[in-house]
Amino acid sequence: MTTRRQILQSAIAPMIVPSVVLGRRAGAVAPSDKIVFGGIGIGSRGSHDLSKILKFKDQARFVAICDVRNERRETIKSTVDQTYGDHGCQMYDDQFALLARPDIDAVLIATGDRWHTPLSIIAAQHGKDVYCEKPCSMTMEESWALADAFRRYNRIYQAGCQRRNGANFEFCKNLLNTGALGKLQTLYANVGPSVDWPPIPSRDWLAEEALPPKQVLDWDRWLGPAPWRPYHSSYVRGGWRNFYDFHGGGILEWGSHTVDLCQWAAGYDDTQPVEYEPVGTNVGPYQVHCRYADGVRLVMRDNGWNGALKTGSCSFRIEGDLGWVETGDASIIEASDSIKPLIRPTEEARMALDNHMLDLMHAIRIRQQPKASAAAAANSHVVCHAAFIAYQRGKTLSWDPARREFTNDEIANRMRSRAMREPWRV
Amino acid sequence: MQNTTQPAPAAKPAPPPKPVPPPEFREGDIATMDVASLIAIVKDPGATDFHKAKACQRLGEHGSKEAVLALAPLLANERLNTYARHGLETVEDPSADDALLAAMAKLHGDRKIGVINSLGKRRAEKAVPALARLIYGGDLNSACAAASALGHIGRLAAAKELQAALGKSRGAVRTAVADGSLVCAERLLADGKREQALAIYTQLAVPSSPKPVRLAAMQSIIREETSLERPR
Repeated sequence: MTTRRQILQSAIAPMIVPSVVLGRRAGAVAPSDKIVFGGIGIGSRGSHDLSKILKFKDQARFVAICDVRNERRETIKSTVDQTYGDHGCQMYDDQFALLARPDIDAVLIATGDRWHTPLSIIAAQHGKDVYCEKPCSMTMEESWALADAFRRYNRIYQAGCQRRNGANFEFCKNLLNTGALGKLQTLYANVGPSVDWPPIPSRDWLAEEALPPKQVLDWDRWLGPAPWRPYHSSYVRGGWRNFYDFHGGGILEWGSHTVDLCQWAAGYDDTQPVEYEPVGTNVGPYQVHCRYADGVRLVMRDNGWNGALKTGSCSFRIEGDLGWVETGDASIIEASDSIKPLIRPTEEARMALDNHMLDLMHAIRIRQQPKASAAAAANSHVVCHAAFIAYQRGKTLSWDPARREFTNDEIANRMRSRAMREPWRV
Repeated sequence: MQNTTQPAPAAKPAPPPKPVPPPEFREGDIATMDVASLIAIVKDPGATDFHKAKACQRLGEHGSKEAVLALAPLLANERLNTYARHGLETVEDPSADDALLAAMAKLHGDRKIGVINSLGKRRAEKAVPALARLIYGGDLNSACAAASALGHIGRLAAAKELQAALGKSRGAVRTAVADGSLVCAERLLADGKREQALAIYTQLAVPSSPKPVRLAAMQSIIREETSLERPR
């Protein structure tokens, strides 16, 4: 039997607790040095994230791109090299080769959803910090594995839930936190238009097309952990959305932003609703009515692209017993008459991504988790997955956050995870 | 005011129509079939890969032990292996472990790794001896998968095998054993086996461990030793 004294003698005492263990960066790089980024799977959305890394040249340097598509690799290299005026961006078709580079501190992951969790965990195992686009996971099980891995390896993780760093969103959160809205009653999360992203994606396949040469597109790596299906060019052009093996429907697509905002604003980053009631059909506006253990309600609703009050995409609303407030990507803050006198202009919502990337860079330097940490993102994604499963099951589900299980439906419990295509695992 | 002589803005070209799944690739009635009907599809030699894939996915939601014998042969199928494992991973009955173990002994390459991953996910304790042998078997990818699976199983028997393998493995296998050991220690902690978990962390917190693992182990020791909930 090993005693505590033996452990302290053998493991800690001789090493005098290196500073890296206490929260400094593992790469022995002085805090004043630039953070070195690599990128994996950067398409249209990822290019927007990359533009922020390139914008903050004084703080970061982007040195490598990995993609299964030759065209994408070359496009990103060209963009990066033009920005820096050199030829320094290296191209890879194998993520392990990029992650093996000791000079890379952090990776930007903006692949399709199916890759987000496994790649993030592999990056953490290689000692890298991560910025990963949302949705961060395909299942509840992946969400928990993600949080566990980043805690285990003490790596920094920022989910692409940038509105946590949006001034108008923070303003609304503060109205709740300071008591101006009174006692919290209901949170509303816009889950996007069902006409584009119905709550239940298709389990069908598209017709098989001729597979392009591997050097043009590596279909095996593109599929990654998703189960095999025949190739169709539409998937690769972004048409993978709305297919169950690749996508979590509208609830994961947009709830990963707006449900996340609700969880963050209410201080629920460590818990989830205990009840999920699906309302509506798969072809029209739909809702999921959720209830927390303390009685607060969360309503996920399809109010179109801009929300009922035209506050812009990805809107959310907080209702207390003294008033309500709502905002979205249009930067407009709508409120009840009782709250309107308190409203002040804020920085525009479009600055959220700048702030979010700076938040990550600061977090990497001080070795403290940023606002959309793996733990927080995993928690809000579990809420989305629970709602997604309730919608698929077509019945009200009861959820035990502590036991991580549904208490009234065994089929729903079996939907908490999916098998990953070999050889991938989390 | 708009100048009425200006030409009307050119209409945006319509996006190409979204491709529609062909009839032979639509799930249709399979979504609502009972277990017996789904098993019949899986066993039917005339059923297409698509229909078998969808039936396996739905069987995974039912978790029925009656499906095990039908799903097991598909573990060797290059296209349907994942779907078959999806069907088996949720079956509580131990016959699913037996089917996966039997397949592990016969399969090679990625199909074998998939089965190893499923055994780990199911925390199949009876697989520990066979998984431990794979660590020393000479196939790098199987060895790494086996180490990871032992970590996920996370029982005392798995911990013992991982601790033994730490001293005997090299390179990528040693890294996988170390990563698996970290996961194993967390599982032991969750099961209340604190001393055994700390022993693993101590073994990992040495200069010869991969740096991310060493730091993770040291951090875990500090966390556990400074926890207000530690035994006193």
